[in-house]
Amino acid sequence: MSSQVAFRSVKEIPGVDYYTAGRRTCAGCGPALGYRLISKAAGPNTIFIGPTGCMYVANAHQFLTSPYSVPWHHTQLGGGGAAAIGVASALRTLMLKGKRKLEDINVVVMGGDGAMADIGFSGLSMGLSYDYQRLLYVVYDNEAYMNTGVQASSTTPWGATTTFTPAGKVKPIGNTRLKKNMALVAAAHPKVKYVATATLWPPLDLMNKVQRALNSGGPSLIHVLLPCPKGWFSSPADTVNLSRLAIETGMWALWEQIEGHFKLNYRPKPRKHVREYLTLQGRFSHLKEEDMDKLDKMIEEEWVFWEESAKVGRLVVPY
Amino acid sequence: MSAIKPMPPITIEKPKAKVWNGARAIAEAVKIADVDVIAAYPIRPYTGIMNALASMIANGEFTADIIVADSEHSQFEIVKHASAVGARVFAGSSGVGLAFAAEAIIVTALSQLPVVAAIGTRALDDPGNFGMEWSDALMFRDFGWLISWAKTVQEASDMTLVAYRVAEDRRVLLPHFIALDGAAITHVATPVVPVTKEQATNFLPPYRPPYKLDPAEGPITKAQHIAPSLIGPEQRKAVDVATKRAKQVIVEAWKDFAKYTGREYPPFIETTGMEDAEFALVSMGAYMKDIELVADRLRKKGMKIGTVRLRYVRPFPAEELLKVLDGVKAAGVIEFGYSFGSPFGTGSLYHEVATTLYEAGSKPELLDFLFLGGREPTVEHFTQVAEKVMESAHKKPQKKAYWLTLRGEDI
Ligand SMILES: Cc1ncc(C[n+]2csc(CCOP(=O)(O)OP(=O)(O)O)c2C)c(N)n1
Ligand code: SF4
Repeated sequence: MSSQVAFRSVKEIPGVDYYTAGRRTCAGCGPALGYRLISKAAGPNTIFIGPTGCMYVANAHQFLTSPYSVPWHHTQLGGGGAAAIGVASALRTLMLKGKRKLEDINVVVMGGDGAMADIGFSGLSMGLSYDYQRLLYVVYDNEAYMNTGVQASSTTPWGATTTFTPAGKVKPIGNTRLKKNMALVAAAHPKVKYVATATLWPPLDLMNKVQRALNSGGPSLIHVLLPCPKGWFSSPADTVNLSRLAIETGMWALWEQIEGHFKLNYRPKPRKHVREYLTLQGRFSHLKEEDMDKLDKMIEEEWVFWEESAKVGRLVVPY
Repeated sequence: MSAIKPMPPITIEKPKAKVWNGARAIAEAVKIADVDVIAAYPIRPYTGIMNALASMIANGEFTADIIVADSEHSQFEIVKHASAVGARVFAGSSGVGLAFAAEAIIVTALSQLPVVAAIGTRALDDPGNFGMEWSDALMFRDFGWLISWAKTVQEASDMTLVAYRVAEDRRVLLPHFIALDGAAITHVATPVVPVTKEQATNFLPPYRPPYKLDPAEGPITKAQHIAPSLIGPEQRKAVDVATKRAKQVIVEAWKDFAKYTGREYPPFIETTGMEDAEFALVSMGAYMKDIELVADRLRKKGMKIGTVRLRYVRPFPAEELLKVLDGVKAAGVIEFGYSFGSPFGTGSLYHEVATTLYEAGSKPELLDFLFLGGREPTVEHFTQVAEKVMESAHKKPQKKAYWLTLRGEDI
């Protein structure tokens, strides 16, 4: 499989939405924008699985309406990996046994960072070790447990305050753990067909990655950084802007691994100082200049590995 | 014109009995039910069922996807969602495995998905205890699963087929546990007459869910978040109504099962010697064979004692139980499950029986006999139980519950 392009320009983005009106996410919700683009890219022959989280609770609720115009099923917070295997297995087996007509159907899990990087981690890993096709795990990463009121997850960045990791007099930094890299974890599964990172910007990058993942011939994972105004204490108007700044400051690296081959999708040149990204978000407001410099240094060190990986065409693990 | 030849007599072909252990017998029933998706995770004593299924599938005896899961939580999530798509599914577990899967197990019933699963009953940790207890299966008494309890290997196998028929019935659509007393059923080999493919096809129609998770069926949104103010209690009521409807469906299913296989079972309650009994021993599961033996011996000595076996704990056959216990002077519940700190220190099954008897016109003296922690009971113990029950009719017992097989202090 090649890194084919399904959507060459915004004009080619289909007008039809499979994630439509009737939701009650916050204004400027990154995961909701992500859902919209991802479901457009996946198309109508798709089943979505939604582990508990904002994309469960803040959708399909009021007056029993649903924003999904493709089949959608809730699964428990830790059940995303397994639920998708159940769906994929049922489809394949029913087709194999002649109980259902043969057809390509996408199974897409839209799981939060809490759902996929923490409680559902082992089920996700199991899912990536099977050979079901058209199976995509999207880790929609808003960098905390937002639905329960902004608690740290294992993908919360260093220095962010959350309600479980507040910055205080004795603990001035807030979250002191380093962000878990779910795409690297996925890439560590032998023979995983497709792994990528993405964010809302550029939108075509995200949509084409969804296409490539679904056509990759095996299970795949896309780790998507999606700003959350509520948990990031940012302006709803800045959601896409923050996605872009995450890329331009190097805080979020856009890459993909296609059948073991690594490709860096974007190089920030010149790389902006991470301060530009951090100062738009209240969750970093307690950080001092030297803390921001420290974070910038961490980014610089990490990028040596992304560049090295790009050069050799294989992942060189940065940690 | 030649004379009309007499018709040859109709013979129902009787399949030869096989010697199978409980695990194998259940696996054979799963095979004959043409299950599509199976999810496995090891924990004894149930594991043998999956071992048997895996080798049948590997050898091409039937087609199903057997998924080696990473945990019981995943195991039950897999089959739940496969069922939502329209596959017939199977899972199972024991002891702490079920505890680990509790969340997935509970949502399966509340989503009304007809998953069928086996429980090889086992004591819960800590400490690690491989003995037989009922606490794992009875933990799920309150969440909308149908729960049946097998006495023999043959019955366990037959119950599996009936479970699919009942669970998938449009009037029910609830998941179904088949409880097998760990080791006493799972590991014991006895002659078993298998259900034939033809019998199974007649008895068990294909699973046709009313709503499938499938783009071909249009966009459906399942298990969406709800506001309690909208359908909170109504949704619970729907599940409760389904458990109640299951009673009728169970009766029909066992009747049909007898029609196609020639094997008859009373749907809810099996009794011995209860016609004129003054004393009753109430229990369920594999040890019932020993309890019946004890009661039979005492009967031969002139004691008016009988046995009552529950084949289902959910739905609970309360009316049927009231009927058989009517006129009994004293009854003893024999059980392997407990609730720490419960009223009068009695066990889980006792609570069900006592609640039922509250509605009785004349109540028998009711005692509880607890076999806890997995230590093997013997015929001697059951004899002690029977004597205590008979004694209680003329001598007021000092307590309601008695622990047996306990070292030091006993009955
Ligand atoms: C087993 C379990 N534990 C806890 C919860 C409570 N809970 C509901 S949503 C949620 C947060 C999920 O966070 P994440 O996956 O990051 O998604 P987000 O809310 O950020 O979109 C939690 C912890 C739950 N539903 N189930
Ligand atoms: S809290 Fe964040 S993720 Fe949740 S709905 Fe609001 S903006 Fe979206």
